[in-house]
Amino acid sequence: MVHGTTAELADDLATNGSARSRGFWRALLASPSGMIGLAIVGLLVFSALAAPLLAPFDPLRMAAGPRLDPPSAAHWMGTDDFGRDVLSRIIYGARLTLQIGVIAVGISLTCGLLLGLVAGYSSGWTERILMRLVDVLFSFTEIVIALACLAIFGVGLTNAMIAIGIASIPFYARVTHSVVLVEKGKPYFEAAIAAGAGHGRLIFLHLLPNVIPTLIVIGTLGVSTAVLAAAGLSFLGLGAQPPQPEWGFMLSSSRDLISRAPWMMIFPGLAIAITVLGFNLLGDGVREALDPRQRQR
Amino acid sequence: MARFILQRLMAALVTIWIATIAVTILIHLVPGDPVRIMYGSFQTTPEELEAIRVRLGLDQPIWRQYLMYLGRLLHGDFGNSIVGDQPVIDILMTRFPSTLALTLSSLFIAVVVGMSLGFLAAYKRGTWVDVSAMVLAIVGVSMPHFWLGLLLLFLFALQLQWLPVAGGDWRSLILPALTLGLANAAVLARLTRSAMIDIFDQDFVRTAHAKGLPKSIVLYRHALRSGLVPVVSMLGLQFAYLMGGAIVVENVFAWNGVGRLAIEAVFARDYPLIQGFILFFAIIVALASVVIDVAYAFLDPRIRYS
Repeated sequence: MVHGTTAELADDLATNGSARSRGFWRALLASPSGMIGLAIVGLLVFSALAAPLLAPFDPLRMAAGPRLDPPSAAHWMGTDDFGRDVLSRIIYGARLTLQIGVIAVGISLTCGLLLGLVAGYSSGWTERILMRLVDVLFSFTEIVIALACLAIFGVGLTNAMIAIGIASIPFYARVTHSVVLVEKGKPYFEAAIAAGAGHGRLIFLHLLPNVIPTLIVIGTLGVSTAVLAAAGLSFLGLGAQPPQPEWGFMLSSSRDLISRAPWMMIFPGLAIAITVLGFNLLGDGVREALDPRQRQR
Repeated sequence: MARFILQRLMAALVTIWIATIAVTILIHLVPGDPVRIMYGSFQTTPEELEAIRVRLGLDQPIWRQYLMYLGRLLHGDFGNSIVGDQPVIDILMTRFPSTLALTLSSLFIAVVVGMSLGFLAAYKRGTWVDVSAMVLAIVGVSMPHFWLGLLLLFLFALQLQWLPVAGGDWRSLILPALTLGLANAAVLARLTRSAMIDIFDQDFVRTAHAKGLPKSIVLYRHALRSGLVPVVSMLGLQFAYLMGGAIVVENVFAWNGVGRLAIEAVFARDYPLIQGFILFFAIIVALASVVIDVAYAFLDPRIRYS
């Protein structure tokens, strides 16, 4: 009987799940922010994948044009102080940006999810100690944690990605923990305990699927934070190193040439801002699609 | 109230205590020999490196190192920097006033601009004013600090020449403070709008309107005071973010604060200075949040009794 009921419930959940999924996409595409965000992120992914086809020059090729050449028909976004084509560097930079976003968010999401789940599920001292630690780390702010990590690992883009990933763990842990607490108070969870569900079943079959939608929203928004943070670290010289075509590093190289070659500063900055805007809008759109009450705001 | 302040102070002390443990562990997480990494470029012999290790206490078990470090800290000794061999606390205290000036002035800009924009957007909800304010806010949130800084530098310092590129006087503070303040104003604008919309929908605001009270009284005495409570509660976190953001902005404008010092320390692998910076940052942020929490409790008595 119990098996029959569980199977029916699973079927019901699966049917509702696919209907919910169709509804989600419809709602996402119906919201202006979701649409614009999806278009920007789609363009970024396309640029990253098709970079060799789209870029007019090799991004590392010096003297692809005259040094500090202003935007022209040959070099749409001008050239830098080594005569490299700025447009090609920006197109290839999309690859690094996506990589940074995915790796950094992957690290923080996985570790934050685990920490938040353990803290929220276990309650008692384990929860108190873990969440106090998370609160303390949270108050340090991400940039200080990232600096501490870079002081340990040394500078470089890979280390910067890991540092940003570690720095955001407290945020994801906090969100997961609060969602777990809400879910634990719901009747279905109490019913599952009463039916004799084990720890594994409670965590992975009941809590996890309910935490995931929130994590999708904050993960999408988190990519924009990770991209901003990585660009910031590269701008400070702690992330990407020459000759990598990373946008933050490109901005940093433009600092001494702002008055002579403002295009070296304008275009990489615009690329970062549009990417971050894209992920922010997409995050907002996903939130609206998952929580219809948000649409009224 | 005294109990509330005591509770907040205890929480701040716990934060600072965990920070002392974190900075002690930090040096042990460095792959390889930290002494060699720090002093390797100074042409030191193995004997000299060993002497440094003993002087820094790195030859002791980690728990003893921690107790020694804690003992020194209680006497105000944060250790000496590798570069220049100066007391870390003296270096930090010399640079801190510049960072504090930058953080407080940008907090002022963020609060004035952000809250006004958010309030206006909520009040004119659904109109072009609301849409424009929120478009401006989301663009502001998406704009990297350092790019906004470079753009302001290009426009106001290089093209229009209204303000200096760098320097130490109040005029050179305007651009960095605007950069940091405007970027955070966007966050506060979104928060304020959301909080004010909730308040405008509340019964007490509708009742105040129904009683025939003048619009300005309903808006400023009833709605604004209640709507700003959750926003004010975020100021502690905003202060921490501004202190963090100052690290990048100080480097854009060559502003001689602790943020610029921290980056120099990471490059030089000056671990005592890095440790000192992290601990100093934790102390300042913890104390600032106590001050803001207490101010918040004065505004909203419910907090004191919860």
